[in-house]
Amino acid sequence: MSPIKAGSSAGTTPAEAAPAATPSLAKRLRFDVKSAGELGAFVVLIVVFAILNPSTFLTAKNIQTILNQSAIPLIIAVGATLVILMGSIDLSVEGVMGAAGMTFVLMSANSRGGTGYGVVVALIVAVAVGMVLGLVSGLIHTRLRVPSFIVTLGVWYVGLGIATLLFGTEQIPFLTSDSLKAWPTSLSLGLPNSFWLAVLLVLVGAAIGRYTRLARWTYAIGNNEQIALGNGIPVARVKVINFVGAAGCSAFAGVLASIQIGAGSATVGVGSLFLTIAAVVIGGTALSGGKGGILRSALGVLLLTTLNNGLILSGVSPNIQSGVSGVVLIAAIIAAAWPYRGRLRVSK
Amino acid sequence: MAVRTRRRLAAAALAAAVSIGLTACTSTSGGSGGTQQPLKKEDLVLVASVINTTNPYMASMIEGSKALSEKLGIPLKIVDSQGSSQTEISQIQSILAQGKKVVLMVNTVASSDAPPIVNAVKAAGGYVVIWWNKPDNLEPWNVGNNFVAFQKYSGVESGQCNGKSIGDALGPAGGGVIMLPGVQDSTTSQTRVAGFKDALKAYPSVKVLEERPANWDQQKGFQETQTMLAKYGDQVKAIWAADDAMMLGAIEAVKQANRPDIKFASDGIYPPTIDYIKQGVPIVGETFHRGYMAASIGLFTAYQAATGALDVSKMPQEQRDSLFKLACVSPQNYQDYTKYDSNIPGWVDTLIANGPFKTEPTPLVGQGPEKLPS
Repeated sequence: MSPIKAGSSAGTTPAEAAPAATPSLAKRLRFDVKSAGELGAFVVLIVVFAILNPSTFLTAKNIQTILNQSAIPLIIAVGATLVILMGSIDLSVEGVMGAAGMTFVLMSANSRGGTGYGVVVALIVAVAVGMVLGLVSGLIHTRLRVPSFIVTLGVWYVGLGIATLLFGTEQIPFLTSDSLKAWPTSLSLGLPNSFWLAVLLVLVGAAIGRYTRLARWTYAIGNNEQIALGNGIPVARVKVINFVGAAGCSAFAGVLASIQIGAGSATVGVGSLFLTIAAVVIGGTALSGGKGGILRSALGVLLLTTLNNGLILSGVSPNIQSGVSGVVLIAAIIAAAWPYRGRLRVSK
Repeated sequence: MAVRTRRRLAAAALAAAVSIGLTACTSTSGGSGGTQQPLKKEDLVLVASVINTTNPYMASMIEGSKALSEKLGIPLKIVDSQGSSQTEISQIQSILAQGKKVVLMVNTVASSDAPPIVNAVKAAGGYVVIWWNKPDNLEPWNVGNNFVAFQKYSGVESGQCNGKSIGDALGPAGGGVIMLPGVQDSTTSQTRVAGFKDALKAYPSVKVLEERPANWDQQKGFQETQTMLAKYGDQVKAIWAADDAMMLGAIEAVKQANRPDIKFASDGIYPPTIDYIKQGVPIVGETFHRGYMAASIGLFTAYQAATGALDVSKMPQEQRDSLFKLACVSPQNYQDYTKYDSNIPGWVDTLIANGPFKTEPTPLVGQGPEKLPS
């Protein structure tokens, strides 16, 4: 459509910008300061809560609890980050979680009867259900040019609808395998399995983000879609792949959540969307796209989960907890965004 | 502005009702709220409005409504409020505007939804029974015959039943209890919490460690319990939840923490709770009441008012702001109550035979509004 502007492609993506010129020492230091914002906030949180709750906060039991509770948002954050990096958004998280979770439970041995098809088959089908929902989002968004915000909002409810249909009016389906239910919180090397699983997915996601062409294209699209398109990047295909991947992550999280509570529930994902998007943004991935990364989002998730846990341990009354956590959240974002507050930076 | 729109809609519904009335040459006087001719069965439509369709209690309400609809041979419409008062009110208004006389049972999303719903139904000449939530000062007899009744189970009694069960189970040694209320501004949760704490006064060795609202949600019940166990550890001897969904989450968290000594009590004795009792999970106290019973009692009350079987203007006040019997059950006697679950249409038959106020196991027992213990 538009002529390719020489040099513009290299300048738009951080991954490609790096080798273009050796950054000066000052620049490198500035980059470190930028990453330190979130890390600093995280450390401050830990220190404050450890002082407030000397006997409970830094116990092995509580750390295991925090890590277990961060597993689900970590998994969702992997996919959510990829989508947000493109400057799009995926709001279908909770619906996809519900549909995939219900699919998994009904395909496993459960209290409604039947011996199921085994964990592996159930998991594959459940994640496939989620990916199909992601494919729908991606195709409608790219082919019919509908904003991702509104497509995924719709798909959220489609997913919830599927989950509700699967739930029906029968009794709650419970997973019958005790060993399966105990797996997420069981410990390996002192940490809960659910957390290890999340770490694995985060590392895979981070590797994709660091080393693949898909990720570089993703950053490029987020930086400037027009230029990306002009440079011959298959924008539509990249977008669809990312939406499918994100929905796959949500579906996986939905399965894990269902295993943890040991039952099928259409609303298993409630609350996950807000937590994850907040975590991605706090981590430093811009909603406008092009900046950020999966490891940053992981830090954001840990920050929020720790905050939540610490507030409870500190005995903050539930009446004011949501208010307090909102204030702390804003403070954390200000701290994290401090190095970016350039006079010409546009924030929407 | 909203009120004006609502009035306009109500007026439109009224106009529709009147014009239908005229063409049919009947003497229906929609909207006056005064004496109204009994309605014919074929002019009626049953409407059951529930808060959502994913909660097992709501699913049970829908099941009961369906069973009654089949027995009476009257079509049924389900309104899914999707947790939103706005969705609820607008869907009910559009059904009212469709012309058939509405026999409505609504489990209101919030207490404040009751007045606009009642007014819209009154203007359209339908009949409504509200379940669970309404403002205390909105009494059916002040509104007119179209607001037939408000019905609920006592939350205070539910909490007291659970409190006593936990107090007895912990014995003289006592210990710490974690409380998991529902959504914080829900009166149902508040009354259960008040009842629970009231009952614990008789057990000074039992101490409430903390209250963590778990929003009626299984996943939230699981997470809150996990955190509480990390915070209080061995001090936790029992967990109370304002309903079974949250308790089921708590049980899973306790199992994974390997604390088989922790006792539970909650409200609603859901089928999975029964399974846990059979497996030996120490659920020491439960209350029995059912969504299908509530919904079909509510719909049947409104239906009888519509057909003239009940003369609303002569009903005693306790039949119009009512508390129904809630059974306090234990692992020993719960089967006396849960036996009804296996034959819901059969139970609806006994409801139709005995009327809404005298059907076991849940007859009318008192008049609202419920008072909190001091």
